[in-house]
Amino acid sequence: MVNLRNAVDRSKRTRPYPDLGLTPAGVVSTEAEDLSRRNMLLGLGAVGVASMGGALGLIGFKDEAQAASSATKGAEHQWCRIVDLRFCTGERKCVSSCQTRHGLPPEQTWMRVLSWQDEVGKEFFMPVPCQMCENPPCIAVCPVSATTRTPEGITLVDQDKCIGSRACMAACPYEARYFNWNKPAETNRMPAPSPSTPEFPANQIGTVGKCVLCADRIPYSNELPSCVDACPNHVHYIGDFVTDVAVNGVATVKLSTFLSENNAVRFKEELGTNPRTYYILGKGQPLGGPMAGVK
Amino acid sequence: MTTMESAAQLMQPSAEEASMRPFKKASVKFWIAIGLLSAVVALGIVAWIVQLREGMGVAGFSNRSFWAIDLTNVVTIIGVSYGGAVVSAMLLLTGASWRAPLARIAEGMAVVTVVIGAAFIIPHLGRPDRLLYMFMQPNFRSPVFWDFVAITTYMFASFVFFFLPLIPDMAILRNKHPEELGRGRRTLYRICSHGWISSPKQHRVLRGAIGVVAILIIPLAVSVHSVLSWAFSLVSRPGWHESIWAPYFVIAALYSGVALVIVIAAGFRRGYHLEAFISERHFVRLGFMMAALGATYLYLTFADILPGAYVGERGVAEVVHDTLLGDYAISFWAFIFAGAIVPILLVALPQTRNTGGMVVAATLVVIAMWLKRLVMVSETSHYDQLTRSFGQYYQFTWVSISITLAGVAAIPLLLMLLFRVVPILAIDEVDTLATEDSPSPIKSKSSMGRGVGTVASIFLLLAAAGAIGLGNATPASADEAIPTIIVSALSSGPEISITATVKNGSGPVWEADLKFYESTTMFKPGNNLVPVGKGITDYNGVAEVSYVAAVNGIRTVTVMYYFDEEAPPAIGTAQVSASGAVSPYVEPKPELLAGAGRTLVGALFTLVLLSLLIVIAQVVRVRRTMKEETLS
Repeated sequence: MVNLRNAVDRSKRTRPYPDLGLTPAGVVSTEAEDLSRRNMLLGLGAVGVASMGGALGLIGFKDEAQAASSATKGAEHQWCRIVDLRFCTGERKCVSSCQTRHGLPPEQTWMRVLSWQDEVGKEFFMPVPCQMCENPPCIAVCPVSATTRTPEGITLVDQDKCIGSRACMAACPYEARYFNWNKPAETNRMPAPSPSTPEFPANQIGTVGKCVLCADRIPYSNELPSCVDACPNHVHYIGDFVTDVAVNGVATVKLSTFLSENNAVRFKEELGTNPRTYYILGKGQPLGGPMAGVK
Repeated sequence: MTTMESAAQLMQPSAEEASMRPFKKASVKFWIAIGLLSAVVALGIVAWIVQLREGMGVAGFSNRSFWAIDLTNVVTIIGVSYGGAVVSAMLLLTGASWRAPLARIAEGMAVVTVVIGAAFIIPHLGRPDRLLYMFMQPNFRSPVFWDFVAITTYMFASFVFFFLPLIPDMAILRNKHPEELGRGRRTLYRICSHGWISSPKQHRVLRGAIGVVAILIIPLAVSVHSVLSWAFSLVSRPGWHESIWAPYFVIAALYSGVALVIVIAAGFRRGYHLEAFISERHFVRLGFMMAALGATYLYLTFADILPGAYVGERGVAEVVHDTLLGDYAISFWAFIFAGAIVPILLVALPQTRNTGGMVVAATLVVIAMWLKRLVMVSETSHYDQLTRSFGQYYQFTWVSISITLAGVAAIPLLLMLLFRVVPILAIDEVDTLATEDSPSPIKSKSSMGRGVGTVASIFLLLAAAGAIGLGNATPASADEAIPTIIVSALSSGPEISITATVKNGSGPVWEADLKFYESTTMFKPGNNLVPVGKGITDYNGVAEVSYVAAVNGIRTVTVMYYFDEEAPPAIGTAQVSASGAVSPYVEPKPELLAGAGRTLVGALFTLVLLSLLIVIAQVVRVRRTMKEETLS
């Protein structure tokens, strides 16, 4: 119900995606062989299928009017992340694409990829972005409420409110927050020029920055977060609890089933932060790495 | 006090005369000292402007060392302020009348250091230009905001505690030595002490008011240092997340504060030749207090370290190990020896139990306590919880050192200027001490007092059950018959059951491996089939899968059959309307103790407000008697 209305709204705003194809999980399809099937399905014209096509993508930058209406949309979505460590080879493309997209200096990485070796020299990797906790300690400690959580469950920093007390950096158990110690580079905001919003912050000197889960992309442009897009091994998933779907750029999964079938776990569960980032282990490694030797 | 001392004081120059010594034309030495201290403060301000322009990177901070020197300064300098309050307030309340000559210096130090300590929050912030947001958009849950409230409340109370005893002194000097005061001071004194006629009633009211403020300033100072520690211990970081930290900070504040009182009292005693009033006995008594507090602090340090080290818990054990044996362990051990053991020995040994020994001990304590706070802040701050290793330690730069030195220099500078304006001795009290021995009983005043939609009607709506023919898609082997799938879907509320019948030409297909999907509008187009289950057809060619829809409305379900590895799958779709869908998402439960936390914060703020009102009431009380008596 909710979704359909959304879909209609969105198709009004954006031009329909021309290359509508259905690619279920695990199916690698080539252009030539299933062209007719695509046409056929397109011909079905089912509301539930075709009109969902989002935009390809002009950048879904959210202007201020849209930002205002987003609040009233309430929690139609509850975003979450899955990191499938079984396929992570440590190429750190997620990190570099994030750096580029948000115009971050080299020392400020909104996502870190931990790595370590076991006794026989086998390497393990673990990307650690902001865990998007449901009970974020960073929000409680901010003296000026500069850190907020959207109804969709994304924790954001308002760069225009932050006084730089760094209390949130102290409170974050995942070390997911970074301070602009020096003058930051100009952010490559698109389409430029555009106002700075918590969803697409323009880094300022003396304030704290963090992963925004590309909140300016979802759901406004139907683009995936840059880390999800960039991963060559499709390790990163973005999911929605409400509609119970998660995608990694190639595959679509039923979120709840995927999590339970793969024994997904959360990082530092014991702290009660209720993170919305799930890890799928599967290589026998300890979550977060061994006692020592993690880089 | 002892009669001997009283007698000695009677023979000495009067407190009035001694208090006015700083008012005389200052010596060259005085101006050189003022000049040098001002230069250090000016350099610190230049360094801070550089930090503002270039960013806090120039002060040696990094993401792996985000809290360090400025917060150390805040904790240390506000800490010593407590020493001033305790020497004056606690000794007043316990009737230790020997405190009288030290009272003004201690209270003045409390006022000056709390202002300087609080000011160090400004270079600590990345955006000090937004400091006012603390008022405009405060987060009542934040310990940093509590700090702000506690510090400002305490600051106000210490101002009052400094001001009230000044009234009789100002009246005395105004009346007896108007010409020696000079015009500026004379006017100030007249305004402040207007109406003070030194009547017994006024004395009684004033003594009562000072007593009430003295009682209140102790919990207020305890609250300041507790809340300062909570800025650290209310986060999950190893080393900071310790229940012992609040009392640990309070004792640390007292310890370093008493030490600074010794140093400053010694400085002014020497500078203004106050030996007649502040004797060696004062230093020795303060030394005993310092030693007792030092021993307590050593004990708390051990109690803080032992549990983490013993259990070997991740994080805590690393921080403890690095503190004791790491690259910077030298600062910790320097504290233990130079900041605790040696000073205690200096007090304990009769040979060094004199003014010189006490000043050396106190100086060591003040410096070592700063170092100890730096260890406490930096060790945990530069510990990376993800790699469980220590990153870059805090780098000292000329910027941060200059800012720190500016704060250090500002303490004597402001005190020297302060005592050029107000009398350095509590004249009235010193005189009372000289004449009467009985400490006045203080009336205490008690002032404390202390929360799917259920299911919609299930209705069945079969919207569409369609049979879809499937076209040929570049068949790899054209002869083979392509199977067709007939899909029908039924919904019962949110529960959707999909029935797929696979036929091959005429007959049903057995044991066909079918995959069932639901279409979604989420995320990127091209990716919108969500797998909901798998099924194998029976001898009728029928397979069934049911699932619970997460989204209401018309759902499109798709069934695929990969009958040939080379060929595209056979596909069948149907639509069904789901209602009363149950999203697997459940709103998170409210935080444990969240409601209790709010109540507690509310109660605490009420207490703070109450304390403020009581302090203000004391000022009003004193003012009123001064007015009444003038009128009568």
